[in-house]
Amino acid sequence: MRITKSNRGVILLFLVPGFALYLYLVLYPIVQSAVLSLYRWDTLASKRFIGFGNYVSVFNSSLFWKSMTNSIIFMLATTLLQVVIGFFLGYLVYLQLKGYRFYKTMLFIPTVLPSVAVGFIWNYIYSPSMGLLKPLMTALGLKASYIPPLSDPTLALLAIIIAQTWNSCGIQVILFNSGFMNMPGEVIESATLDGASGFGMIRHMIIPLSWDIIKMVIILQLIGALRAFDLVYVMTGGGPNHATELLPMHLFVNAFENFNLGYGNVVAMVIFVLAMLITIFMRKLMERDSLY
Amino acid sequence: MAGRKKGPDTMPKAETNAQLMIGKKRTKVMIYISLTFFALLVFLPLLWLFFSSLKSQADLTMNTWGPPKDWLWNNYIKAWKGSKIDRYLLNSMYVTALTIVITVLACTPISFVLARYRFRFKKLLYYVAIAGMMIPIHSAVIPLYMMVGDLDKYNNLNMLAFIYAAFRIPVSIFILEGFMSSIPRDLEECAFIDGCSTTKLFLKIIVPLSRDGIVTISVLAVLACWNELLVAMLILSKPALKTLPIGLMGFITEYNSEYTQLAAGIMIAIVPSILFYLIAQEKIEKGMIAGSIKG
Repeated sequence: MRITKSNRGVILLFLVPGFALYLYLVLYPIVQSAVLSLYRWDTLASKRFIGFGNYVSVFNSSLFWKSMTNSIIFMLATTLLQVVIGFFLGYLVYLQLKGYRFYKTMLFIPTVLPSVAVGFIWNYIYSPSMGLLKPLMTALGLKASYIPPLSDPTLALLAIIIAQTWNSCGIQVILFNSGFMNMPGEVIESATLDGASGFGMIRHMIIPLSWDIIKMVIILQLIGALRAFDLVYVMTGGGPNHATELLPMHLFVNAFENFNLGYGNVVAMVIFVLAMLITIFMRKLMERDSLY
Repeated sequence: MAGRKKGPDTMPKAETNAQLMIGKKRTKVMIYISLTFFALLVFLPLLWLFFSSLKSQADLTMNTWGPPKDWLWNNYIKAWKGSKIDRYLLNSMYVTALTIVITVLACTPISFVLARYRFRFKKLLYYVAIAGMMIPIHSAVIPLYMMVGDLDKYNNLNMLAFIYAAFRIPVSIFILEGFMSSIPRDLEECAFIDGCSTTKLFLKIIVPLSRDGIVTISVLAVLACWNELLVAMLILSKPALKTLPIGLMGFITEYNSEYTQLAAGIMIAIVPSILFYLIAQEKIEKGMIAGSIKG
């Protein structure tokens, strides 16, 4: 429909409240964050302009680079795990054997749980006193090699990666499953009649046909992992010795515990730019025509 | 992708394909084993939490895996009474409900205009609206924290709901706009000929036909607000105003040594989420799919 003189006012009224809210509480704070990253707070009440000084101190900070490295490891590892497991389970559910709905429901449950609860559950799984992990390793004859994972600098990040995968893999299962359901039926049918099966089928038919959804899941998961904060906060607070400090946690510690707001805003900008880069870059990188 | 179909009409087709693809019995067994393995990975930690919540402290230390020796339902009463968990649940419900109202009121009219009218800058407006989908809330959280301070709105649940709603806008518009675009054009032409005003067209025709889409964005908003930790933590500090996630954080610190009661408290906190999922399963799944697949 076209907008006419008579309904112009109403249309405007339809648009303004929502956009005002969005501009004020989403877009404006992001611009603000960019501006404030150029200031230094001497006290909480007084700030002064220092140009790129905060950027210099962030990029010279070894802790920043440590959290950047942690974030990259975390993003790559959770994406690899969740995409592989999600693809695999999404495919098995797609085959629709009897009872598949039950499995689909079950696999999705962790994604709706409050992350604080998930963090608690995994803390205690790993805990040396009542956890599930220690008895499990004892039963497998590995008692000697048990170290409490969350207090070990090399294992802690891996422990959180596993907890995160448990927490959010269900989304990938659902997304892949829906992607498979949308594949053109005739193509698969004729491939099946031509004798395609098993892994050959997956490699030559399923992956090319669901390339769009694979692309989307990878982008979503990378960005999701970039924002991961809750489990780290609940399980380790970034420790031991910054071993699990991801970028959002690094921001939180500097802005709200050390009250270095300028520094925090620089980290916020880094997170923002990374999110945008991933979206644009991954889309370009993975552009590929479907193979049929 | 020419032969691409959407919607339920592809389902029976997929079923026959699946039947064709799984020939051998051995394959079937392998599939069930894999699915069951992963389902157990999900289920066992939850079962263990449930068992722990009913044990005595000694029982938990001695017998980590098994079912409780005596089923101490009393742990639940202690956890409920010893904390403000009822308060946290109420606060979370309030914030969630208000967030839904604001999100729906803000997004429905915008989606309507974007889906049904043609005008200059419409594309631009649409992309600005959905640009926020990829923006992490962390990039905005420090200025938000300061703005809330300037407005003197710390410890204000309404403020929290407005922030949540604002961050729901991009994905909600994305879903609703898609939904409303698929309503047949003829309908509004009829309405137009009958002399229907824009407001009437919106309220009497488009909104009722978009009910499913509105329910979907509401359901997704529930999950997002119910579990949100960071912003709530920064804005709320009064114990009486805490939402469930931050209330739970405090609860964990407080009960740090009484694992069994803590487990009971966590159980109380996760049961509503699981129930909500079981009730709204289809909407949640469809919403997540709709919200993540870009056209």
